[in-house]
Amino acid sequence: MTNKSLCDEIYFNEFYTSHIQSASNFAYYKSGNKNTSLDLAQEAFIKIWENCAKIDFSKAKSYLFTVVNNLFLNKVKHEKVVFEYAKNSPYLDVNNQSPEYLLEEEEFKEKLKNAIENLTEGEREVFLMNRIDGKKYREIAEMLEISQKAVEKRMSSALKKLRIKIDGI
Amino acid sequence: MEKNKDILKWLNRDISDEELLRLKETEGFDTLEKIAHYASQIDTPKVNVENALAELKLKTQNKTKKGKVVAYNFNKIFKYAAVIAVLLTTSYFLLYSNDTNYTTEFAQTKTFNLPDNSEVILNANSNISYAKKEWENNRNLNLDGEAFFKVQKGKKFTVNTEIGNVTVLGTQFNVKERANYFEVKTYEGLVSVAYKDTLVKLPKGSIFKVVNGIIDTNTTFDTSEKSWLQKESNFKSTQLKFVLKEIENQFGYTITTNNINLETLYSGGFTHSDINVALQSVTIPLQLSYKIDGKTITIYTYDQ
Repeated sequence: MTNKSLCDEIYFNEFYTSHIQSASNFAYYKSGNKNTSLDLAQEAFIKIWENCAKIDFSKAKSYLFTVVNNLFLNKVKHEKVVFEYAKNSPYLDVNNQSPEYLLEEEEFKEKLKNAIENLTEGEREVFLMNRIDGKKYREIAEMLEISQKAVEKRMSSALKKLRIKIDGI
Repeated sequence: MEKNKDILKWLNRDISDEELLRLKETEGFDTLEKIAHYASQIDTPKVNVENALAELKLKTQNKTKKGKVVAYNFNKIFKYAAVIAVLLTTSYFLLYSNDTNYTTEFAQTKTFNLPDNSEVILNANSNISYAKKEWENNRNLNLDGEAFFKVQKGKKFTVNTEIGNVTVLGTQFNVKERANYFEVKTYEGLVSVAYKDTLVKLPKGSIFKVVNGIIDTNTTFDTSEKSWLQKESNFKSTQLKFVLKEIENQFGYTITTNNINLETLYSGGFTHSDINVALQSVTIPLQLSYKIDGKTITIYTYDQ
C-alpha cells in the first residue's frame, strides 16, 4: 500500500475508477448542478495527477474531496440547488397502489426535495453521502477530514430541519 | 436524546434489533422512514467511468504538451547561454591563471628559477607567487615567509611582502618575513628596502631588520657565514620568540614554553639536520632545558 504511487498510471487509473462517481456525487450534493459536477471532479483528478509525487496514496481520498470542495467554493458560488428523483423509483410501500397513497407520497417527495435543497451545504453533503452513497459516518469523516462527532452533528441537524419542514412542527 | 442516538445508528446501519424495535414504536418514525427512503432516491448524474477517464487523459496530455512548448522559450535559452558563458569565463581564469605559485611546508625548502633565470630558494613554511606572463616587463613577486634570491642583472626586481618591499637590480639577498619580523640580508651588490616611508640602501654584508615595527640597520653579518641555505639558521641579538618560531618552521614541531622570558636576546645559530642538536645550541647558552614529547617541545628553566 505504501509503495503505491499515484504517478504510476496503473494505480492512478485504479484510484480514479473507484472514486470518480463519489467525487462527482459529492460535487453534485454541494452544487445541486448536474452539468458542472463531473467537471469539478475531473478537474480535481487532474490536480491530483499533476501533483501525484507530493500526495501520499493513503491520503489521496481525503485530498480528492478537499480539492473538489475548494474548486466548488472558488467556482460555483451560491447558485440555486436543484435535485431530481430517479425515474420510476419505488415507493416505500410497493404493494399499495391506491391513487390516494401515490399522491400522498408524491407530495411528500416534493416537500422532502425542497427541504434538502434548503439545507446548509455541510448538512446536505453529509446527509446525502450517507443516504445515496450509503457511506458510514466514519468514512465521511475521513473523506472530509472532520471528526465523526461533527458528521453526526450535521446528520442530526439535517434530520431535524427536514422533519420540521415536512411535518411543519 | 436516546431516540436521536438510535436514529443516527439506524441511518448508519449500526442499530441492534432491540434498538430498532424501540425506535419503530416512537412517534414520527413513519416520517423518518420516508425521509430516509426517498432521500436515497435522489438521482445523481451517472458517470461513464471509461469515457470520463479517456477524457481526463486527453486533457492531461494537452497540458504536458503545453509544458514542452514552454521548454523552448527564449528566456530559458538565455538562461543556459548565461550559465555556459559563466562557466567558460571562470574556467579560463582557473586554467590560464597568470599567477604561478610556490609553497613549502614545515621542514621543507624549494629551489627554482624564475623566467629570467634568477634563482630563488624558498625556506620552510613560505609562499611565493608571481605573474609569469608579465615577468619580462615586470619582475615583481609576492613573498610570504623567507627566501634567498640570486637575481640576474636586468630591470628592477621587486619582492613584495606584507611588511615591506625590497627592490634590486641584480644581486644576491635574503628576505625573511614572519609574524612581526622582517629581515633583509644583502650578500652581494646593493639592495634597496622600502619599509613604510623609509627607503634604505643596503650594502653587501648588512642586515635590515624590523622587529615589532622597530627598525634596526646597524647589524652586520659575515656573507660567508652559514645560513639556512647550508641547513643552518643564524641570529644576531634576536628575541628568543623569533628563534623558537624558526625552529618550529624548520622542524615542524610545536613549541610551548614554561615561565621563560621570550624577549631574551639570542645570538648564534642552529642546524636543520638534528632537532636535539638544534635545541641544545639554543637552550644551553641561555641556561634553559627542553623536553620532546611527540611533536611538542616544552622549554623550561633549570630551576624547574
